[in-house]
Formats: sequence, C-alpha cells, structure tokens
Amino acid sequence: MLTSGDRDDRSTADWLRRITSLPGVPGHERAAAPEIARAFALFADRVTRDRVGNVYGWVDGVGAAPRPRAMLAAHMDRIGFLVKRIEPGGFLRLSEVGGFDPRTLPGREVVVHAKPPMVAIFGTKPPHLQKKGESEKAIPFDDLYVDTGRPEREVRRRVPVGTMVTLRQPPVDLLGGRLAAPGMDDRAGVVTVIRTLELLRDHRPWWDVVGVATVEEEFGSVFFGARTASERLGPSLGIAIDVSHGDMPGAREGETVPLGAGPSLCVGANIHPLVFDGLRQTARSLGVPISIEGTPMSSGTDAMDIQIAREGIPTAVLGIPCRYMHTGVEVVEPRDVDRGARLLAGYLAELPMDWSVSEVLK
Amino acid sequence: MTPGTAAGRAKRTAAGRAKRTAARGAGGAPRFRDDLLEAFSNAPGVSGGEGAVRSIVAQAVRDHVDSLEVDAMGSLVARVAPSDGAARSSRENGAASRGRRPPHVMLCAHLDEVGVMVTAIEKEGRLKFRRVGGLDPRILVSQVFRIGPRRVPGVVGTLPAHMVTHADEEKVTPFEELYLDIGAASREEASREVSIGDHGVFDTTYERWGTIRKGKAFDDRAGCAVLASLIQRRPPLPVTAVWSVQEEVGLRGATAAARRVAPDVAIVLEGTAAGEAPGATGDESAPHMGEGPAVTIQDRSLMADPGLVRTIERIAKSRRIPIQWKRPGIGGTDAGKIALSGAGVAAAVVSVPCRYIHAPAAYLDLRDAQRAVDLVWHTLEALRKEWPPR
Repeated sequence: MLTSGDRDDRSTADWLRRITSLPGVPGHERAAAPEIARAFALFADRVTRDRVGNVYGWVDGVGAAPRPRAMLAAHMDRIGFLVKRIEPGGFLRLSEVGGFDPRTLPGREVVVHAKPPMVAIFGTKPPHLQKKGESEKAIPFDDLYVDTGRPEREVRRRVPVGTMVTLRQPPVDLLGGRLAAPGMDDRAGVVTVIRTLELLRDHRPWWDVVGVATVEEEFGSVFFGARTASERLGPSLGIAIDVSHGDMPGAREGETVPLGAGPSLCVGANIHPLVFDGLRQTARSLGVPISIEGTPMSSGTDAMDIQIAREGIPTAVLGIPCRYMHTGVEVVEPRDVDRGARLLAGYLAELPMDWSVSEVLK
Repeated sequence: MTPGTAAGRAKRTAAGRAKRTAARGAGGAPRFRDDLLEAFSNAPGVSGGEGAVRSIVAQAVRDHVDSLEVDAMGSLVARVAPSDGAARSSRENGAASRGRRPPHVMLCAHLDEVGVMVTAIEKEGRLKFRRVGGLDPRILVSQVFRIGPRRVPGVVGTLPAHMVTHADEEKVTPFEELYLDIGAASREEASREVSIGDHGVFDTTYERWGTIRKGKAFDDRAGCAVLASLIQRRPPLPVTAVWSVQEEVGLRGATAAARRVAPDVAIVLEGTAAGEAPGATGDESAPHMGEGPAVTIQDRSLMADPGLVRTIERIAKSRRIPIQWKRPGIGGTDAGKIALSGAGVAAAVVSVPCRYIHAPAAYLDLRDAQRAVDLVWHTLEALRKEWPPR
C-alpha cells in the first residue's frame, strides 16, 4: 500500500493504461476500487470508502474551518457482462450490464472473471459454414455466446452464474498520443480526478475538495453511487467528470466534440449557469482550450443525481472527448485529460470561502 | 502425447527441445512444435503479402531440408530426401524390389491469412480498406488491426450504441462504410506511417492454456506448423514441402507450385472450421475440436483420392489415432488445384479442427495437431511400401 504523500511521476497515458485495465462492471467495482484508492492515496490527505463502495480522496483546504466542500465525481464502473447460463458444450450465455451495440462483439476476446480468470471469445461462424445471406443480418445479443475453449465439466465447476465478464483489449497506442482501450468510460474521468488531486495538493484550495470514484453509473436509471455519495458529503458544489462523444463519421453536428481540443463543458438544465460561467472564465484565463456541449435536458452523468441530492446542489459536467464509446476501443487523447485536470484545479483553487449560488431576495 | 505439459515445455530451450525430438524413438513421428505455431500465428501474412511469415517459416525449417527455394509466385518449396535407412529398406524389401520406386509426395500448407488492404487515406486521416479473402463484415467493427510493415495499430471505428437508431440496430455495416482510425488527424500525418496497399492483420497474440491454443490465422498456420514439425525428421520417402501463397484468394500459389513439384501424391494440411456452437447438432457441429484430425472425402474443390483416403483411415485405425470426417461439400483447399495438376495427382486433406477461423482469434487443441503429425507421418510410411495401392 502506497502511503499519502508518495511522489509519483507516472504520465497521464500511463495512468490511463493502468486504470482502464481494471475490471469492475456495475456492482462489481471491488475489482477496481483498491487500485483506485491507492492512486488517490498518493495525492489525497485521506482516503475513505463507504458502504456502497464509493471511494473518496480528501484534499484539505486552507480556509478557516468549517470549510465548504466541492465534490468531483467520476464513475469507476465500466460496462460489461454477467454469466447468465451455461449451455451444453460449456458455452456461456451472458446478460449485459450497460449498453453495448451487439454488432461490436462477435469475435472479441473477453475475460471471464472466475478464479483464476479465463480468457474466452465471442463465438463466430466462419463464412464456410454460413448459409447464403447470413452475413447480411446482424446478430442480436441473445444469439451471441462466449466460448472458453474448456470442457463443459470444468466450466460448470469454475464459472458460477453471475460471474463478471469484461472485454479484453490491451490499451492500443495510436498516432498523436491517442489511446484506445475499453473502460475509458469513465476511467478517463477517474484519471482526471487523480490528476486534479495531484495539482491541488501542491496548490491548496480554500475549500475542501473530495474526489469520488462512484459506483453503478452504468446501471439503470438512478446514478446510484453519485446519489449516495452526494447525500453523504452534502457538498456546496458538485462536478461530474465523464466522457463525451468524440468527433466521428456518421454523427450529427452538435452531438460530438473534437478530440485533442480540450475538455468539454456541458450546458443545459443539469448544469448550474454560475458554475459553468466560472469554469469557462478559468479556462480562458489559464489558456485551456474547451468545447461547449449542449445537453438541453439530461447530461446522462452522475451530475443528474448530484443536482437533486439533499436540498439541491449546483453542478457542472466536464467531458473528456472519447470516440467509439461503449466499444472495446474507446479512444481518448491524454492531453484532454491533463487540460481537464488543470481547469478543475484552477477553478477550485480560487473558489472564495463565501461563494454561494443561493440568493436572499428580501 | 502428454498435452498437459505443453506450457511447461514451451519454456525450455530450443536446443533441449531439438534433442528430445531427436531422442524420440526411431520410426516415431516427430513432435508437434507448439513454438513454431506460436511464431507462425503471430506473424503477418495476408494473401499477396506473405513475405514476413515466409521468412519465419524458412528460418524454422532451413536446417532440416536439402534445398529451399522461393518460387515465382512466392511459395516456399523445400526438398527433403528420405533417410538412408528408409531408402535402403525400401530397396531391400519394399516397392523397389518389385520394380517400383516410392512415390514422390507433396505436402502443402498455405502461408497466407485473411485480412484487409488499405485502399485510400482520407483527408481527415482515416483509412478506407477492402477485404482480402473471406471475411464476414460483422466481425470487424471495433476490432484492432496492425497495418503495414511497421505494424501501425488502427481501430475500426463505429458509432457508439447511444447514437444508433433502432432501425439501424439490425443493419450490418457494409465494408464500404467501415474505416480504420490510426489516430492521425490528417492525410499527411497518416501517410507518414501507412501507404495505400498496406495489409492489415488482426492484432491477436498467441496464448496457451491446458491443451488449448489461441491465436490468429490458424487457417492455415496450423497446417504450416504441422508441416514444419513433420520435416524435422527425414521422411520415409522423398517429400517436397510447399508453404503456398494466395490460397485464400483462389488457391493460386499451390496451382503453380504443383506444376513445378509434379508429385505422385499430395497431402494438404489445413486448419479447418470446427462447427461446435450452442444448438449446433449432429452434422452441423462436426468436426469437433479435440477429437482428432479431420479427413476430407469431398469438398467444393476436391474429390479426395479414395485409395489415399482408405490408406489414411487404415493407418488411423491401426495406430489408434482418432480421426473425424470433415463435413462434405464445404470449403475448398489447395488440394483441389493440386489434384488437377498435370496429368492428375492423388490428393487428400488432413485438417486440424479450429474454432472461429477467419476471425480475430481462433482455438485449436494441441492434441489434434500432434495427431495430425502422427497420422501423416505413418501414412507416409505406408505409402513407401504400398503405393500405388493394388
């Protein structure tokens, strides 16, 4: 266990490679939490974990107590699967946790998180065995299966129903420093929080800042970890850090933000205009490039549940541009993560002790 | 075979392995070389661009062959004379005493694998590509490829599930709409790393667990490795080993090579599709991985020579080597072209059943690969004494 205060000069790309490689589908974040807690501990004054599994890294402010709190939320769960049924022959049928396009799965390697873990493949039928016209029909998720190559007897003994399964894809270094890996959603956000805590340790804010790696963002309609964490913390300000759709062919204008042009700031009903303005001004004064992303109703992030926790919390959403989201090759440019961290740290460090968005009108 | 020890074996030195192989009893079939399958599987070699894998195969076999050439099309051709003992015993009591010479056997496995070729570099730095060989467009989306001689990684991009409309969910994205993203932001940036005409192969690494091996291009690096393993020992009769090119684009390399080799008998070594899947029954699921090599009676390119097939079947029975029949009428191999060569060649196919060929990662069972070596080796011994069959 690394202790608080240890130096770490890992690059952002190194952090992304390491943190994205941890498994942890919704409800199974235990597979990632210890490693993320260790990363937080390098830069935070305290690291804690709550009953539902959220991990907190606390940076103490230098203002006079009692200090207001800012919460930075990035979800540590990533989409994946659970074993649903074992077929004759030892083939596994899965249920998905989080939204995959099943057309991205045939032929992919996965890890079945048995003890010890097994490598497996989403089975495909070679063209030689296909009927005419078969390759013109997409395969629905329920027809897909995973093959460990092992005898049925061994599979039944070692793989209980409910076992976690994740895409297996080592990080791929693309040109321009870009990085492709599954789990950028939202481990790129987690790394942004790690980097922000690192900057704040050396440039202390007035406020207390709590970085939270939240659980169960990708599951259901409630952002479970963000909800419980913001109830627990009661922050005066909450910022969700999540991935935003990067520019790619086929997407309509206004639906994406460019890679390598800095993080995005969401604007819309889920975002408090004063926080948005403050972040935009900080970006300008620091010379950090940003994109603005219109999310008129829902941002689809942890901020949805932070906003309505307790008596209401002013929120913002910082997006890390990411191409091909919810596939095995989510592409992020590490530079955008660095810029996001600089922007967040710059903004939080300058928040005055008497900051408030509420007004007394009479 | 003691397949359970395969992983441990792989860790030992090549020298030690060679010694143990040599130490295998006289007349015993050579050991299947897991390490060669690994090297061959990991190497790139799309049809028409087999140079890299060919060099690796050439390096692996050069010390075991009498001559080694690359023919006009790019196939690797190696001649191996029989062992002195085999030649002598053949003269003394075999076919030669009855005025016959042992047949000249061509063993053939194809070097090439299915993949893609870069056909355009777009203004925004994305690569357009076309397929080489039988590739199902449904397995390409979000896959990682290694492109060109510098093995530049690229991913096949796709709209995220969030943006896919309900109507599009069931559509298969056609090849023309697929593209590779190598991270380049412009044509200039991309052109520094890749060129039009570069081939792309799946980015898959060979792995071992139990007797299972996982890797890309087992069709037909499995056959290439069976062939390279067979010629570690001097065969009982004259053999010409051919690692052919361009099988996946129309059985082209073997067509030319067969003319030059002009064999009496040909045995083609393949990695063939195992049919097991949930719900697949009977015929549909054959052949099965782990239940022995598959022998072809008939496919879309070949009526296998019945005499040769009977010999193979008899050897399997007498040596207690489990075999399976390949589902008839499916696929085609180099054997189809070799059989047609010149005035005709007696040809057969022995295949290692592999799950998920023509896909990023396939499985095979090491026991099947060793059985294929055993089966072909003992068949060669039989052919020395009794070809042509009476």
